[in-house]
Amino acid sequence: MNERNWHTHRDEKEARLTSAASLLDGKFAQTKDVVKVLETLIKPGDKVVLEGDNQKQASFLSEALDKVDPERVHDLHMIMSSISRPEHLDIFEDGIASKMDFSYAGPQSTRVSQMIADGTMQVGDIHTYLELFGRLFIDLIPNVVLVAADKVDRQGNLYTGFNTEETPTIVEAAAFHDGIVIVQANEVVDKLPRVDIPASWVDVIIPADKPYQLEPLFTRDPQAITELQILMGMMAIRGIYEKHKVQSLNHGVGFNTSAIELLLPTYGEQLGLKGKIARNWELNPTPTLIPAIESGWVESIHSFGGEVGMEKYIAARPDIFFVGKDGTMRSNRALGQVAGQYAIDMFVGSTLQIDQFGNSSTVTNGRLSGFGGAPNMGSNPTGRRHSTPAWQSLKPDDDPLAKGQKLVVQMVETFGSNKKPVFVDHLDAEEVQKEAKLANVPIMIYSEDTTHIVTEEGIAYLYKTDSMEERKAAIEAIAGVTPVGLRSKAKDLQKLRDKGIVQLPEDLGVRRQDAKRSLLAAQTMDDIVEWSHGLYNPPAKFRSWS
Amino acid sequence: MKSFWLFPGQGGQRAGMLERVPSELRTQVEDWTGVKLADTEEGYQDSQQIQLSIVLLQISQIDQLLNLGWKPDLVAGHSLGVFSAAYASGVIRKEDVFKLVSLRAKLMQNAYPHGYGMGVIVGLTRREAAKLVEQVNSSTDPVYLSNQNSELQNTVSGKVSAIKQVLTLAKNTGAQKAKLLQVPNPSHSPLMQKAADELAKMVDTLELKKPNCIYLSNITGKSVRNLAGVKQDLTSNLVYPVLWDLMTSVGLEYEPQNAIEFSPGTTLSKLLKAKDKQISMITLENMSIDDADFLLNKWKGKN
Repeated sequence: MNERNWHTHRDEKEARLTSAASLLDGKFAQTKDVVKVLETLIKPGDKVVLEGDNQKQASFLSEALDKVDPERVHDLHMIMSSISRPEHLDIFEDGIASKMDFSYAGPQSTRVSQMIADGTMQVGDIHTYLELFGRLFIDLIPNVVLVAADKVDRQGNLYTGFNTEETPTIVEAAAFHDGIVIVQANEVVDKLPRVDIPASWVDVIIPADKPYQLEPLFTRDPQAITELQILMGMMAIRGIYEKHKVQSLNHGVGFNTSAIELLLPTYGEQLGLKGKIARNWELNPTPTLIPAIESGWVESIHSFGGEVGMEKYIAARPDIFFVGKDGTMRSNRALGQVAGQYAIDMFVGSTLQIDQFGNSSTVTNGRLSGFGGAPNMGSNPTGRRHSTPAWQSLKPDDDPLAKGQKLVVQMVETFGSNKKPVFVDHLDAEEVQKEAKLANVPIMIYSEDTTHIVTEEGIAYLYKTDSMEERKAAIEAIAGVTPVGLRSKAKDLQKLRDKGIVQLPEDLGVRRQDAKRSLLAAQTMDDIVEWSHGLYNPPAKFRSWS
Repeated sequence: MKSFWLFPGQGGQRAGMLERVPSELRTQVEDWTGVKLADTEEGYQDSQQIQLSIVLLQISQIDQLLNLGWKPDLVAGHSLGVFSAAYASGVIRKEDVFKLVSLRAKLMQNAYPHGYGMGVIVGLTRREAAKLVEQVNSSTDPVYLSNQNSELQNTVSGKVSAIKQVLTLAKNTGAQKAKLLQVPNPSHSPLMQKAADELAKMVDTLELKKPNCIYLSNITGKSVRNLAGVKQDLTSNLVYPVLWDLMTSVGLEYEPQNAIEFSPGTTLSKLLKAKDKQISMITLENMSIDDADFLLNKWKGKN
């Protein structure tokens, strides 16, 4: 009787590493051999994770993958949280890859749309981050993973530091299922500041010709914040943060939320809210939060990734950030997304379109951008059972078994920067689904999960509505002079205000004329540097004096 | 340092614009085409004069930059600009460019003696404009949605009477601007099929090479690395809309650090800057080749 071979993956991995032996000295390969190493270790049809998120990119390995011989390496099934660089798509034009599972494609969204439409790229699914990370352990178990580290020691231990992000998650999926772990390293050193990933999880290390690409994605210059955004920030602080006693939260990357961060130490202070709201954060180390941290508003911040220029400041504030004994931060995108979805009171974000029912999306015609963290954090995990005041405050009072709800807030101006209405009857995403033949309409946040919408007109408390008709009326009431908003009638608005479903600035005690730039705790990047006692070092493109 | 070269089409021509073009090249072009280039306002009433002069100006600028060692990583031409884009990417020989452009201009001039043209609509999306065109277009009153210059700026091409109806509808649905253009052809629409067929005959006789950089296609809005995609533009771009907004969106996704707009005009620089505030821009209409060389060297040092 033939005994089944229960270790085919291990045999395959060993065979591949043996065939690459001439290119390897222990775990180390030479920089110049990178293309040969990939051609030897990757086989046609492999599932390959290429590390690339919206900040950190394994750019040395992605450039090398674009140079492999398509005769030897082809039809790869790529798994990437973010499609960020041109070569991530070039490999599809050459046939090196044919299928893609991803979450976000913002910087390459036009070409992604084109390549899906003409069949150059087959799409598995457009996932939320947690779905994608989760499936690495279920049915998208990788054959090869290509990741980036800051430093590596002679034994092959990795230091990923501030930008640890999703590296440990990706490596774990391969290392414990006989996948091959290939690492590009900025630097080979004798002693690491600390070990983020142990050497025994790593198969091949290639010193990179230059440091991995890193984008300062969460830096917002306060000078670009408008008075309208300040008004909306004041309304949100009064009508949501204060009202629901929100203590733990995540902010999206927009200017609306930057405005709120800069209003906490001023307007928030005037309202006597310090210590009562916004204490625990799941958030990248965004510089606009520095004034709130320095004024004692913030107890803790856990981060998905790092932020260029914040290194010294973070190192000096270990009570606030997650920092190793060596003094540098450790981020973790997978755990950050879990925390952001499951453990916080509130998510506040922004979007490009909201439909009449309250569904929102950043996918517009011709741009299949996918989504970042919003779909996870902007959803209500129904199994939760929090006792926090915010979560409980959304509990309906007519049902003894009722439970609370996570606050999911969308902040938008009624017209976008292209002067087109943000509020629409139908999302462009519905058309995009048809064009790209996607299984699902690419909605970012579903109506059922959206509890509040804030515009310059007012706040709609969607969770208080008890029918779709009422929900639509609440949205119309704050949609300004968009076609959706023009359907709102004065007497309906009054009824909605009386029921507390819609609140205008005057209902919240916010005076439009108070929304001035002078209310921001920092008005320039220089102000933020000053708040940080000189510890924050803005990236070149945010420095006015460079 | 990645460089994105942009070539405008007709519209920016002005008397005297050929002053800095080496006389040798100008004479050569006149010999190849049998057309004496006037470079005067009266001269620029004539389509052949306009088209040959613009391409001559662009090619003299391309040659100077190539001689200084600069090369494009991405090229995009708007309408007539595709010929210079094809030349800059090594696809077509200089002499062939002018013969082809000369024929194109002649074909366009003779296609519709009167009653046809183009209009522009500002403030509506392409989808919104398409709906209006659909309402008007008929076999007796043909009108088509043509170029996409930016998200909210599209042109229509066809019979003037039909264009006027579309423009009126556009104003009534909230367009900021809707007006007829000084263009005597329904360019970039199916009405130009005959001209394209003639051009295709000539293109088929030419010896063309694969582009040596990324070429952005008018017709598909896609990035192209093979000859077929460029050839399609050279023969048929008159029949299809120029998807300029899409072309530049795709171009920018390759992350160029700088862009150069060749003469004449400054329109493409403005459109690109509106989409990407970070990009370093050289507009040759306002700058000498020496100054451009200085800036490119300076930026190269930074990277």
